Amino acid sequence: MRRRNRGMAATAALALALTLAACASESGPPTLTWYINPDNGGQVEIASRCTEAAEGEYRITTEVLPRDAASQREQLARRLAAKDSSIDIMSLDPPFIPELAEPGFLAPIPDDVAEAVTADVVQGAIDGATWRDELVAIPFWANTQLLWYRKSVAEKAGLDPSKEPVTWQQIMDAAAEQGKVLGVQGAKAESLTVWINALVESAGGHIIENPEAPADEVELGLESDAGRAAAEIIGTIGREGLGGAGLPTADENATMTVFQRDNGSFMVNWPFVWSATNAAVEDGTLDADLVDDIGWAIYPRVDEGTEARPPYGGINLGIGAFSAHVDFALAAAQCIVSPENQAYYFATNGNPPASTKAYDDEAVQEAFPMADVIRESLENAAPRPQTPYYNEVSTGLQETWHPPASVDPETTPTTSTDFITAVLRGEALL
Amino acid sequence: MRTLTTRAKVAWAVITVVVLVWALLPVVSIIATSFKLPSQLNLGTFWPKTWTTTNYEQIFAGSAKDLFLPALRNSIGISLIATFVAVVLATLAAYAIARLDFRGKKLILTTALGVSIFPVISIVTPLFNLWRNIGLYDTWLGLIIPYLSLTLPISIWTLAAFFRQIPWELEQAAQVDGATSWQAFRKAIVPLAAPGVFTTALIAFFIAWNDFVYGISLTSTSAARPVPAALAFFTGASQFEEPTGAISAAAVVVTIPVVILVLLFQRQIVSGLTQGAVKG
Amino acid sequence: MTSSAVAPGATTSENGEPRAARRSDRARDEARLGWWLAGPAFVVMLAVTIYPILQAFYDSLFSYRLTAPSDKEFNAGQNYVVVLSDPVFWQAFLVTAVITIITVLVELVLGFFLALVMHRAIRQLRGVLRTAILVPYGIITVVSAFAWFYAFDINSGFVNHWFDWVPGIDPDLNWFAHQGTSLFVIMASEIWKTTPFISLLLLAGLSQVPGELEEAAQVDGATAWQRLQRVVLPNMKAAIMVAVLFRALDAFRIFDNVFIMTNGANGTDVLSLLAYRTSIGRLEIGLGSAISVLLFLCVIGICFVAIKLFKVDLASARGEG
Repeated sequence: MRRRNRGMAATAALALALTLAACASESGPPTLTWYINPDNGGQVEIASRCTEAAEGEYRITTEVLPRDAASQREQLARRLAAKDSSIDIMSLDPPFIPELAEPGFLAPIPDDVAEAVTADVVQGAIDGATWRDELVAIPFWANTQLLWYRKSVAEKAGLDPSKEPVTWQQIMDAAAEQGKVLGVQGAKAESLTVWINALVESAGGHIIENPEAPADEVELGLESDAGRAAAEIIGTIGREGLGGAGLPTADENATMTVFQRDNGSFMVNWPFVWSATNAAVEDGTLDADLVDDIGWAIYPRVDEGTEARPPYGGINLGIGAFSAHVDFALAAAQCIVSPENQAYYFATNGNPPASTKAYDDEAVQEAFPMADVIRESLENAAPRPQTPYYNEVSTGLQETWHPPASVDPETTPTTSTDFITAVLRGEALL
Repeated sequence: MRTLTTRAKVAWAVITVVVLVWALLPVVSIIATSFKLPSQLNLGTFWPKTWTTTNYEQIFAGSAKDLFLPALRNSIGISLIATFVAVVLATLAAYAIARLDFRGKKLILTTALGVSIFPVISIVTPLFNLWRNIGLYDTWLGLIIPYLSLTLPISIWTLAAFFRQIPWELEQAAQVDGATSWQAFRKAIVPLAAPGVFTTALIAFFIAWNDFVYGISLTSTSAARPVPAALAFFTGASQFEEPTGAISAAAVVVTIPVVILVLLFQRQIVSGLTQGAVKG
Repeated sequence: MTSSAVAPGATTSENGEPRAARRSDRARDEARLGWWLAGPAFVVMLAVTIYPILQAFYDSLFSYRLTAPSDKEFNAGQNYVVVLSDPVFWQAFLVTAVITIITVLVELVLGFFLALVMHRAIRQLRGVLRTAILVPYGIITVVSAFAWFYAFDINSGFVNHWFDWVPGIDPDLNWFAHQGTSLFVIMASEIWKTTPFISLLLLAGLSQVPGELEEAAQVDGATAWQRLQRVVLPNMKAAIMVAVLFRALDAFRIFDNVFIMTNGANGTDVLSLLAYRTSIGRLEIGLGSAISVLLFLCVIGICFVAIKLFKVDLASARGEG
């Protein structure tokens, strides 16, 4: 008797716990969950603005994703693979969109919505939201790297990047001659892929020639003049110490630190460096003179005669295919990406708009005097390879192109091609 | 009290200083970092140039509030429940092992040993799949259950060792007086066993509090994400800026309870761990 | 010499029990109660480990990627062939083994020193020393990893500035850019965090050494070193073996520090990280499960070697009786 009672009690407790865990109460207007990447509070604010604008039709709550892009993808892919209905809107890093679009994890964007959200949007952002010629995500904000330079150093080298586009060779020479350090991202992280891709694209090549191919048919374009040119630049900067001792672990933040020091010269980086540097001056950590010494221009070229293809980043909004409220989610996403919200986001969080209209906003022009250069850069920006196997490609590149000093134009393109091909065929571990 | 020669005194002084520096320097360094201004993190100094509470404001009231506070709540709640369940189950099991004669005793102890050496990473993927299917993914219960695999074995071992040292004549006396095994356990042994149970709870709590792999693999929102996993979600003023300050502040906050517990109960922890380890 | 020094205490409770007289009913009653009390813990332990490892073994036989569920197919051990023939796996295996061996050896020496300090400390200092030694034990591994990482970081760290008088260390030394220096910091943080544990195990062994033996040796004129070698260590053998085995198995699972500090860059990849990256990161459940199963087999292997070859007597050492 006693035995049975105890067993039943245990079962009941477990059942209760399971029910509590599984069931969420539903009342009032539907609540949309927006998975956001961490920022300075801008997306939370936009969510509440759009909740207000919906006038009781729906509410938007936010859930934050990890800091680095690869982990963001990890979290979302895991939940979507489980057909999770709690994901309504997602802030997606563009390179990972194909992987989620291919198995149908993203709800299709109706034509009328697609048309509305691509009007006046920079080309890079549209490319980054497209998979197999269909718009699968809604462009939200678009990021690009600029060339930041210390005016004193450029002047001494006889360069004026704001007037005349410079080449990688020129800035490398300038840094070497003056014993200064270049700011590039050599850490074994996504930022290294960003750099490699920008170099390969600027040299007229592509990391992947046929991004839409299935895993075992993907062809890499690294064993080309463009791939070798990229390897030459990265290898030289690494071997000759032009990136400083911190290069093999330098992410965007560390690069900025190096640039702000006395031996800073040129740096490729996202616009956040402007607000961060100004904040450090306000704290009294950096000299006010420093800000006056900083200039900006379009990303450096690889060939003198070919326009650079700067890195493209940012966030597009995906709609969860298993969401119970796809219609509301689409409406909410359209509200989120309105030019006003994009301008607000740029001015307060430093993330540039995908919409060209938002650049004309006064607050934007005031906070970011380089807004027009950013817009121009975005028009030429090249997305990273749009393939469902982006994670493998990017990690494979990081595995073979790191540390920068080990990169050799003769061998690295071949090694990395062989390695990534083997990984994609399931013949090698990553 | 022994009287010490001067040489011995000096030697003990030196040893004490060395041990203190070795044990506490990393803790002090992260405390110092937590008080640095975000823009002054890269000066390379040990102490902050300007002391600031910005980082603490960020995690308790600022942009990281919605990340850190739920995580803190989850960590405390999940660790306490996992500890409680483990200690209750382990107390029963350890009593049986120390006190009763039955077949399978050895099997239970060997299983506990096997479970305690199990590579966590090996079981996290299948658990992830199972949890998704039965709705335990990203819930408290979904972490409490696997935490038992960490806390139960050591609790059983430690408590079994404690229980073996209890003067069992008391229980036998109670049994002679006509009490059943269960009554004897409750009346005669529980008061004696309480200190051991408490120590075991402390050790189990430390282990649950320490978990990282389950925390990052089996959660995805602030519904269940514990603090160690949440540290990877912090961000600076923008997504590219290092959240060093916020991470340090959060690290200090989750370290304080541990240090307090250690300060208060160092004697019990030492005896608990040493008992469970080698003694019978 | 086996672990007899520790065993006796373990068996007294059972020997002291008058069992012969009341077999039968009472014995059956006791067995039932025993299983009622211990059963739940036993079932829980099995449920959270045996099921997952069997599932992992099953999954490891398939080519299965979570984001392409329709392509799942049986491939009969092909995953194991891929893993075992891949230098990445062996490199991670080697690094894991090196970390395990070095940290355990260093911890053994350091831990013994700390155990002696705790054992011999004069009363006024005992509390302070114990507390200090226990602090790293209680700290979250991730927190310790961040503390060490920030201290050594080329931009934010103070180590390069404090220790620039040491040959080879200067403000331009990037600890996390080279295999050797990265592993050094990873191991240092692991040692810092886990030495207290090993020293407590050794302290337990130390308190088992009969004081009279040591005194007798001292009277016979043995030096401190001779006493350590001839009296203390032999009597602690079981404790040392258990400590080494437990720490080795724990070190073999190292994950948190590496994940935080280098995430496997510069040849610091370890098996747990490889398994995590494959199954949780790449969502290649099949391949990842194969690595998990291999990692599990490694742990079993270490145990087997320790128990059979080095005759670590866990049962008596842990008081099984």
